Amino acid sequence: MSHILQSDVVRYACTCGSLKPLSRIYFCRHCLKIRCGYCVSHEVDSHYCANCLENLPSAEARLKKQRCASCFDCPSCLHTLSTKASTVVVPSSDEKTVTRKLYYLACGFCRWTSRDIGYPDQTVASGGWPEKENPHASRIYNLLEHFKTLALREKQEREKKKKFIPRRNIYHLSGLSAAMARKRAGLPSIGPSSLKDDVGGPAELIPSAATEEVEQLPEEIFTDTLNLLKVTTLKQRLAQPEFQPQTVDELYPAHKCLLIKRSQRCRSCEHNVSKPEYNPGSIKFKIQLSAHYHVPEIRIVTCEPLRAGEKSEMIIKICNPTQYQSSLQFSPLPSPEEEAEELSKEIEERKQKVDRKDEKTNREDVLLLLPSICRQVSITEDPRPVNVALTGDISLPPVTLVLPPRDDAAEYDDSGDTHNFQDDPKIVVWRKANKAAMKLVITPEEDISEGRDVIVGFVMHYTYINTMATQLLEQREPQKVNLKVKLYITVGKVVGK
Amino acid sequence: MPLYEGIGLGTEKQPVVIDIGTAYTKFGFAGETGPRCIISTEVMCQESGRIKKIFSYSNEEELYSLLVEFIHNLYFRHLLVSPKDRRVVIVESLLCPSVFRDTLAKVLFRHFEVSSVLFVPSHLVALCTLGVSTALVLDVGYQEAVLIPVYEGVPVLHAWQAQPLASQAVESNLRRRLAGPEEGELSPHSRISESTIEDIKVRTCFVTSFERAHKITAGQPDPPPPSVSYQADGSSTVDVPGSARETAYEILFEQDGDEMSVSTMVLDAILKCPVDMRKELAENILLMGGTTMATGFKARLMSELKYLVTTPKYAKHLAIKVFKVHKPPAKENYVAWLGGSIFGGTDVIVTRSLSKEAYLKENRIPDWANLMYNCREDDNKSANL
Repeated sequence: MSHILQSDVVRYACTCGSLKPLSRIYFCRHCLKIRCGYCVSHEVDSHYCANCLENLPSAEARLKKQRCASCFDCPSCLHTLSTKASTVVVPSSDEKTVTRKLYYLACGFCRWTSRDIGYPDQTVASGGWPEKENPHASRIYNLLEHFKTLALREKQEREKKKKFIPRRNIYHLSGLSAAMARKRAGLPSIGPSSLKDDVGGPAELIPSAATEEVEQLPEEIFTDTLNLLKVTTLKQRLAQPEFQPQTVDELYPAHKCLLIKRSQRCRSCEHNVSKPEYNPGSIKFKIQLSAHYHVPEIRIVTCEPLRAGEKSEMIIKICNPTQYQSSLQFSPLPSPEEEAEELSKEIEERKQKVDRKDEKTNREDVLLLLPSICRQVSITEDPRPVNVALTGDISLPPVTLVLPPRDDAAEYDDSGDTHNFQDDPKIVVWRKANKAAMKLVITPEEDISEGRDVIVGFVMHYTYINTMATQLLEQREPQKVNLKVKLYITVGKVVGK
Repeated sequence: MPLYEGIGLGTEKQPVVIDIGTAYTKFGFAGETGPRCIISTEVMCQESGRIKKIFSYSNEEELYSLLVEFIHNLYFRHLLVSPKDRRVVIVESLLCPSVFRDTLAKVLFRHFEVSSVLFVPSHLVALCTLGVSTALVLDVGYQEAVLIPVYEGVPVLHAWQAQPLASQAVESNLRRRLAGPEEGELSPHSRISESTIEDIKVRTCFVTSFERAHKITAGQPDPPPPSVSYQADGSSTVDVPGSARETAYEILFEQDGDEMSVSTMVLDAILKCPVDMRKELAENILLMGGTTMATGFKARLMSELKYLVTTPKYAKHLAIKVFKVHKPPAKENYVAWLGGSIFGGTDVIVTRSLSKEAYLKENRIPDWANLMYNCREDDNKSANL
């Protein structure tokens, strides 16, 4: 089953133009369009640690630099470290020996322990490990403070622009490149001229002093043999960007990075298409609008060997996953011109939507006053044309296939179908509950070489019953809509004569 | 909406600073002392399962999808924040191709819906880590070494220097030396993966001293350093001869047909600057980029410079005797990122960023190479008349 869902044999075209198998696409029930991971907006929902499954609110996660407070990664192999306990005998004052438990960190994968780098064992099981600080932290904060003051002064000067005599004149004299470079560079005025200004000087900063002395190459590098086990690998160095230790005795355990739960939102109607439960232990979703529950599924049952230019029969199984009866029709893919027209229509539709939204926000003056709470106009990417070269032709029967609704109990009912459909037995070869198998004829291209994939495509039209509550309020009964989706099937490889 | 984030209206979301390099991308939050992660600039292609470098793009569409994938990973695997309505600082080289810059902006604004983007030139913001306003900034990264002098906060663009003398050159040189002269394509060493070569380079190779390098070129080398047996994977080892360890980096300092090397770049740039700038630039050199972290690189560059100024080619024009280098408060490979972090941590990010609204209206980003943004005011006036 998992193979059928994961394979890329039958691909559906998303509204944005990407091709994905049914299990990887969403169906937005509000705008009745297919969406995929590429064209929805992803949002970070909650942070959690993959090791201890602790849930952290995002403000706290931000304070802890998106790392878990209690779990560590091995600095040597980047695996998770575990806390090991050892008992030691401590001589007590009254001539009795007391055993105490001491804890240290150990990697079960590469055998690295915190004793290797001389960390003292801890008396408590969690926490208490020494934290390493960036040795340059205070200098960097100094610099940051200095530039903040400068930026603030620049802002103030900009605000009282009218009184301010443009000091930039001097740069105009010094030529085109200087003036423009400064404008482009976006550097706050850190020249000495601005420092002399008497509007409250910026925080005192000692500029870095350059030296003639540089680190010399150690002489023993030419004579001593290099022990590679003592030198860290590039991966180990980059795992700790602020320290980048060169030798293994400087490898300190790093706090484990958190993971996130993501919710996904349709960009045009801003409803969630997928939202997980907050609890990190739960793998369930609050909202999960997978297309698997809404769009008819197609699978290949069998296919005759494919030969270039010759007809072969393919049987596909179609399954209706919804609670309502659905009727299906098939038509060939639109020509490139039609497709381009459709795309431009889609883009136009989006623009109108954005314009409408604009008008709406303009009327609401309150929202204009508080721009931070009013929802920003969502601009999305324009859909791209599907980029697939078809290598075969498919003949589609001009029938309407009616599929009954899904009935979970029908799986266990052997009494046969009660529905009476007038199907042409040459086309619909099999039928059970909400599934039907249909025969199609495929002709691979004449000049296709052996071993190449045969890809065919068609459009599937299906009826969908919209049951959204908002729609129900206005219409009072479920609304029937006709939808279509483009399908691309990789039938198989061409075999020899 | 995330549950606990941004309840107070005044709290501004922490901006993200990204420095996309050819080999490694540095990223983190503005105002922090170091990047959160340094990762390879590459993505796994979902269809073929192969690793693809971002800079190996062949056209704009391909670059667009590569960047979407890469930046998605950046935000949701490493930074763990939503990109939407968050400010971004991009640290870029002044010589960044327009197509890359434009596509990156498009990806950030259109796909990730960030609220504003601030492009800062890497050579310039690197000075924020020093607190000085004049320096000769040499960035030796993966693909090329780029030098731009900055004087009183203004990049002296006409004196820029760029040479393909960086990590990539060193690695292909090392690969050649490991394979040996007689073996060609067929030797087992030509199949060593790029990451292994990189690891060998970082862990075993070093930049040799000036005197020894001279003896090697003269054909009378000192005894080479000991060889190293490198465990490539579980089953195979690579023997790294001492001479390869010592000479892998020589490609940066050997002068090529045009008498160009990393050290002549410095002097040529100084020569191109006006006389009154030269002394100050020579006494304020800032080295950044991962390749400058190689053992002995700085010592070698300094002795090269001291030697070169005495050669007839430069002695005639340059009267400089003293060269001084700065020591930034960071590892060399993320100096530019730290500059961006300090710069983006200030209010400047509000006043100088390109906002989403402005981008949507104009649909392009200001660029110094574009005359629309880079003309004297008088020129604009005369054009209007």
